[in-house]
Amino acid sequence: MGNEERQMQFADVNDDVVRSLTETGRSYYIALATAIFVMLACFFFPWFYQLYYGIGAAGMNHPTVWGTYLASFVFWIGLSHSGTLLSCVLHITNSEWRKAMYRSAEAMTLFSLMVAATMVMVHVGRPWFIHWALPYPNQMELWPNFRSPLMFDVMAITTYVTGSLIFIYMGSIPDFAAVRDRTTGWRHHLYVLLSLGWRGTDTEWHRLGWAYTFLAVLIIPLAVSVHSIVSWDFAMSLVPGLHQTIFAPYFVVGAIYSGTAGIVTVMYVLRKYMNFEHFITKLHFDNLGKLLLVLSLIWTYINILELFTGWFSGTSTEYEQLKYKLFGFYAPLYWEMILFCAVAPLLLISKKFRTSFVPMLILSIAINIGMYTERFLIIGATLSRQYLPNAWRVYVPSLVEISILVGSLATFITLFLLFVKIFPSVSIYEVKETMETPKSKKGDTEWQAAH
Amino acid sequence: MGAGGGFMLAESIKHPVEHLIPYAVPPEEFSSGIATWYNSICGMCPAGCGISVRTREGRAKKIEGNPSHPVNQGRLCALGQAGLQVLYNPDRLTAPMLQSGERGSGEFVQTTWNEGLSEVASRLSASTNNDGIYFVSEGVRGHLANLFELFMNELGSANLLHYDFAHPHSLYAANNHIFGERQLPYYDIRNSRYLLSFGADYLNDWLSPVHHGLGFGHSRQGNGDARGRFVQIEPRMSISGASADEWIPATPGSEGILALGIAQQILAGGNYQGTDADDWNAALATYSAAYVEDKTGVPADTVARIASEFSHAEPGLAIGGGAAGNHTNGVDTLVAVNALNYLVGNIGKPGGVVFNPDPVVGSSTAGRQANFAAMQDLAENARQGAIEVLIINNTNPLFTLPPGAGLKEALASIPLVVSLSSFMDETTAMADIILPSHTYLESWGDDMPQPGVGFSVGAVSQPVVSPLYNTRATGDIILGLAGKMGLGEAMGWDSMEDYIKDSWRNVYERGSPDAGGFDSFWREVLTSGAWGENTRNSNSVVIDKQVIDNIAVAEAEFSGNPDEYPFVLHPYLSTTLYDGRGANLPWMQELPDPMTSIVYGSWVELNPQTANEMGIQDGDLLRITSEHGSIEVPAVTFPAIMPDVVAMPIGQGHEEFGRYARNRGSNPIQILAPNMDAVSGSLATSATRVSLAQTGRRAAPVKTGGESRQLGRNIVQSTGADGDSAGHSAKLNSIPIVVDPA
Amino acid sequence: MNIMERFISSWQKYRKPGYYEDFDYAWTMSIDLDRCTGCSACVTACQAENNIPIVGEKELAKGREMHWIRIERYWEGEYPNAKLKFIPMLCQQCDAAPCETVCPVSATYHNQDGLNTQVYNRCIGTRSCAVYCPYEVRYFNYNSHHWDSPLEQQLNPDVSVREKGVMEKCTFCIQRVRQAKDHAKDDGRRRVQEGDIQPACVQTCPSEALVFGDRKDSNSKVAKSLADPRAYHVLDELNTLPSVVYLKKVDSDG
Repeated sequence: MGNEERQMQFADVNDDVVRSLTETGRSYYIALATAIFVMLACFFFPWFYQLYYGIGAAGMNHPTVWGTYLASFVFWIGLSHSGTLLSCVLHITNSEWRKAMYRSAEAMTLFSLMVAATMVMVHVGRPWFIHWALPYPNQMELWPNFRSPLMFDVMAITTYVTGSLIFIYMGSIPDFAAVRDRTTGWRHHLYVLLSLGWRGTDTEWHRLGWAYTFLAVLIIPLAVSVHSIVSWDFAMSLVPGLHQTIFAPYFVVGAIYSGTAGIVTVMYVLRKYMNFEHFITKLHFDNLGKLLLVLSLIWTYINILELFTGWFSGTSTEYEQLKYKLFGFYAPLYWEMILFCAVAPLLLISKKFRTSFVPMLILSIAINIGMYTERFLIIGATLSRQYLPNAWRVYVPSLVEISILVGSLATFITLFLLFVKIFPSVSIYEVKETMETPKSKKGDTEWQAAH
Repeated sequence: MGAGGGFMLAESIKHPVEHLIPYAVPPEEFSSGIATWYNSICGMCPAGCGISVRTREGRAKKIEGNPSHPVNQGRLCALGQAGLQVLYNPDRLTAPMLQSGERGSGEFVQTTWNEGLSEVASRLSASTNNDGIYFVSEGVRGHLANLFELFMNELGSANLLHYDFAHPHSLYAANNHIFGERQLPYYDIRNSRYLLSFGADYLNDWLSPVHHGLGFGHSRQGNGDARGRFVQIEPRMSISGASADEWIPATPGSEGILALGIAQQILAGGNYQGTDADDWNAALATYSAAYVEDKTGVPADTVARIASEFSHAEPGLAIGGGAAGNHTNGVDTLVAVNALNYLVGNIGKPGGVVFNPDPVVGSSTAGRQANFAAMQDLAENARQGAIEVLIINNTNPLFTLPPGAGLKEALASIPLVVSLSSFMDETTAMADIILPSHTYLESWGDDMPQPGVGFSVGAVSQPVVSPLYNTRATGDIILGLAGKMGLGEAMGWDSMEDYIKDSWRNVYERGSPDAGGFDSFWREVLTSGAWGENTRNSNSVVIDKQVIDNIAVAEAEFSGNPDEYPFVLHPYLSTTLYDGRGANLPWMQELPDPMTSIVYGSWVELNPQTANEMGIQDGDLLRITSEHGSIEVPAVTFPAIMPDVVAMPIGQGHEEFGRYARNRGSNPIQILAPNMDAVSGSLATSATRVSLAQTGRRAAPVKTGGESRQLGRNIVQSTGADGDSAGHSAKLNSIPIVVDPA
Repeated sequence: MNIMERFISSWQKYRKPGYYEDFDYAWTMSIDLDRCTGCSACVTACQAENNIPIVGEKELAKGREMHWIRIERYWEGEYPNAKLKFIPMLCQQCDAAPCETVCPVSATYHNQDGLNTQVYNRCIGTRSCAVYCPYEVRYFNYNSHHWDSPLEQQLNPDVSVREKGVMEKCTFCIQRVRQAKDHAKDDGRRRVQEGDIQPACVQTCPSEALVFGDRKDSNSKVAKSLADPRAYHVLDELNTLPSVVYLKKVDSDG
């Protein structure tokens, strides 16, 4: 449980985390600068171009009106699922191995949601009016259309963002307090503000624990509902291939799947570049790997079900969808998805694989590529083949769209890079809970003082 | 009409275009927010449908069919709707111009009307040989045609030609030959119960497509339980073929043999009781069903069945045109088709072939229609130096004549070429002086539509907006030239408007004088948009025995031998571009072709099996070669075309004609052989054999339609025939539309 | 009835067949496939009437069609027995429209005449309505459109010109419907009669395949079309309750 060659002390945890905040090497700045540059060049610049010329800058057409923007939106929402959801589930089940990584995972959630929100703005035809989707009293006496699955989206995601924000913030208060006491300058002032005067009294701990668990219990159904609602954007349409009841579980499972893979990626990066080898260990990867395997099997099952129902239905429309996915224009993408998300994860059966860091990294990236492809196929490929054959048309993403996808990744990385330097990315107090309580030495005032 | 302020006083007042400030006292018909409608005549094809144009604040907004006009009865085709884009086209010629560089260099300088007219007038006056003055116009009717006649008469020249690519010369010749009527009859499709069409794309571009559409609709489902049956015989399915109950592919050029075969079957079946039955039997002896099957590829029992259905339908009607009329045996083919009508006795009857009375407005221009032979003669005369001045009016022979005519080279020998066209097309680009005319929406004119509707119908075309540019009405240009040349005596009208109005006094005097006088009559004509008179052609039709004895259809001849050139090229008038005149209209370029859904380009249609055998896929760029040239066109597979026929729409391949038309697609006319029908001298457009070769490149045409099979989805649903529609005897309750004579 | 009962009874009737019969009019179009020749005059008439932009060859190559009514064509069989069938496809003005439920800002709704209207000003361009429409008759403005001068002089002042980012579709020429209703009102507050209003496509169709009217008027031609044994709805199984009724083509083989 976090015991390395040398016995780790409680103080070491604080040291490590504070160091991760205050000591910044050149490689960090280079990484941050690159990420910001890519974000500006690949996200904002093409987006402004698109704002000027219209959605025509993207590759969408009639009737494939939805494309990579929405696929990216769903992807980022999916990625967001694991952080908070996993964190909450594991908290309630009292699992030990979550403690080191959940902070970063929750941060991942938050930033994914932010990036997903920007993807919505990029996707919409007139983003300068996007505030009309929010229910606010106005002179036009118009409310948004609450029957719309997109409105459910708005409400669910806002709730989820709010919930996640509160959750991550609340859980970080003791950590802010811990680093407040060890930093100076602007950081100190920032953490003073953020720690809300936490003193670490018993009552405070008690309240925190209770509130934290309460929120964790609330967030679980919320997270499940969020991605179900996102899936209903598609499932409530009449498009053959989208209009299926399995979409809600499919998307939720897919989200947790891709999110968990995302956590693996992030954990690898944190471990390697933030010197968190003590905190993030083989155990974590092992457990994440097991989770991934289970999710992969469920995901594969659902895909097989989709194929089966498409074939079994005997209707021209559903059958055509399945034929098109397997053998049509997008078939290479489909098989790539199967390879990365159904076949490759079978490697996780081997414990040796699960506990090897670099292979896990590669697999997790492959899974996310496969999952992105899955979202792309759900949107682009199904819209290409609807009821009226005369209206069938192929959709190919344009350079602007691909660039914005890359840019959104860069945005995420930028946000995350900023996060690791401003907020404690490993939960200090929770990690300490996993460590052996140091035997109190009589008269060890130093230890007393540290807490 | 329901969408505007109704018909108001329809005389239009010309407003000077320099006024930018809105009127303090606006003209009578300018009411902001209320539309003013003007009746006029559509000028997009020779059918002459009546239109009502909705204008708002002096701008033309929408063209609708005029409900009072008997030809189109309120309906209008796509090309007619696009007339607005002719008026407001960005590439219109805006002022008189003089060629400032070499001919064909495209360098022009603007000049004034005075200068332009004076220059042309002086050159005309200075010509040494009266017959050296040639006037080649698009086909016009009505009093504008009369004005041209007058003018050329005054000039002492006999060389007035009306040149239209799609003019059915062979049909005129066939009607003259067998019925003694050199005109286009009225084909009463509306009341027909069985229409047998030999290649005539009557719903698309043949003669009067809107009227035929009306007739088709009524015959199908407007007649209670009796449903008309339509059979189309052509090597490539056209729109009319798609709407037909039966599409029969016959060897190209053999349609006439098929018609005579059907005729023979009618006689053999004892279904013709006329006194000249023996003559017919003798003449048609060769055309047994077996012979016909051999020559046409149509099975003998099909021939017999159609003959039976056709002769038992009450009434059946046979029409011919399109590919069938455009072979070297075109006239003979159409004579054979006419024979069928004669044999079933539908001449002059409802549902049959009804000849029109002589035109009341204007005179017949049948004699002036220039066929291919005439244009070849023109080119030859030019080469001989016999042409001093060539005046062109809104026609584009450099685009619509095969290079074999040699017209482009011949132009070099003509000292002065003057164009009166509204657009810089290929022919106008070779002009020395351009005196641009108004578009039809800005002009006064009149017309008796051809083919008519069985009785006299006339209409007046009036301007619906003030002229946009410094152009003049064609008639006004002619009057201006006449004025400058001192021909004021015979052509003393101030303007085209005056001339038309004056001429219509004659029409007015035909009827009983109205209490309100001519002015009220004139107003009535303009506000209703049509005038009619219950005069009919009562000539009886008797066929000369000579004609019957000699009735025969030889096999069609093609250029190129079948070994080197295995395919017959079937060029057809495009639905959207007609003969190329629609190519500068963005609406027409963007309108998907109904059969293939292709836009903005050319394509060549192949039978799928042929494509398979040759390894050709959709979108492969092919080189089509005839003995007279080659073009590159992308391939498209087309399920309803004969395996050794390839088809291509006409209309693209312009080198001039504005930004929407230029450098787009290919023009199949370029590779057509200069073969002619022996009798009529018209161009046999379907008589060219070609070979196909892969260029190795791809140029997939832009299509708006995706998959073209329903895949069992029941989107277009059909029902079995309600009862027996073939040969079903129906009560004839049909009466042609009668317009109250003025 | 108290509020709860009223609410429940309203909800039970909502979007079921007949729900919109209480509304002012029930505009219906009937399309006789036995008369349709595929000539596409309706397409151009609609373009002229409704300021539909020319998207150009490049955009069409990308697949961005802009025709509110389109002629679909379906081949059947092989040479020499190939048949081609045309079917005009336009907004079906469904009474149970899938597009209306999904627009997050209510830019599309069912109006008092039974028409599915599109409010260009409200549309933020999520394009979900286009996804939800099974007939695929909604068209999105991917770019701003340009008319080479002086083609813009032809634009109909009764119809707005849509900017980029906005969805549009057939409105049954709602500007003509409005005008007809205005005239009827001025004319003694009568109802709009048969023949007072025809959308551009109906008005121009040479073979009279398109017929338009109010199905609440039992004497109207469309009411008779609805009772015709050949009548059917496209994609009937989706239960969108379309206001466009098609009359089957008569297939007289042999």
